[in-house]
Amino acid sequence: MTLMAHQGSFEIEGVVKESLPNTLFRVELTNGAIILCHLSGKMRMNFIKILPGDKVRVEMTPYDKEKGRIIYRFK
Amino acid sequence: MIKIKTEQEIEIMRQCGKILAEALEEVIANVKAGISEIELDRMAEKLIISKGGEPGFKKVEGYKNTICISTNDVVVHGIPTDYVLKDGDKVGIDCGVFYKGFHTDMAQTTVIKGGKNLVEVNKFLQTGEKAMWEGIKAAKLNNRIGDISKAMQDVIEGQGYSVVRSLIGHGVGRDLHEDPEVPGYLDRPILKTPLLKEGMTIAIEAIYNMGKSDVIYSGNDGWTIKSRDGSLSGLFERSIAITKRGTEVLTRK
Repeated sequence: MTLMAHQGSFEIEGVVKESLPNTLFRVELTNGAIILCHLSGKMRMNFIKILPGDKVRVEMTPYDKEKGRIIYRFK
Repeated sequence: MIKIKTEQEIEIMRQCGKILAEALEEVIANVKAGISEIELDRMAEKLIISKGGEPGFKKVEGYKNTICISTNDVVVHGIPTDYVLKDGDKVGIDCGVFYKGFHTDMAQTTVIKGGKNLVEVNKFLQTGEKAMWEGIKAAKLNNRIGDISKAMQDVIEGQGYSVVRSLIGHGVGRDLHEDPEVPGYLDRPILKTPLLKEGMTIAIEAIYNMGKSDVIYSGNDGWTIKSRDGSLSGLFERSIAITKRGTEVLTRK
């Protein structure tokens, strides 16, 4: 039986709408969807703060459209 | 995680592959006009059980048959129906056997004589089978998965056909589908694909279409996948083991 190829993650941009406890954020994506995102480890390590209103890049998996990982904050 | 098999485990898989190869060869020999898909399915099941194995596909969640049958534009996972095969039909049979805790997986495609374009279809099928064998040749110790993928892609695209991208070969062992993924085309540089090591057992599949590579789910059974443009599709698969004595095809008599 043939296997379906596992789908890769993709990146999308959005604006942070609110910050929640434990570095979780509600982000409104460019496609209109509002999803729950966490902060990526690299950003945590480098102490990069995210505030509501920041424009960010989010990494998402096709397997769960409600969640994402914030991987970059735009200037 | 790619699971490495011991010599003893490979020996079990060898016996498993023998049951599968014998059963599948006999089923393919019976692919003629007048027989129905479901009769072939029952034949495969009887043969496998009489040789001491279990139908491997019945262990897949939600799948109730022994074979997947790919008639004409069906690419993979066609559920056997009471459709009666007729002259000119291209028929692919994919089958698996579970024996003493291990799976093997094998597929072969053939065409029933008497249709139009027989010469074209035969060339199409020979290309796919050759692609699979070239892939198996490339599956040497210390080569990479990417070498297998490139070998198959070059043969198929070299004849103007297209490699299906969303369906892939896979590791095989205690589970029917294991790591690594073995695509029929290069989706990343060869050096970024896993290294082939002794004890790896993989199912190498050539999955390709005469027309474009896109495939879609067909109908409502949740399984059958057809080529989007309705063109003929080919499927050839063998399970192999990488051993220090070289690459060995497990699914053989």
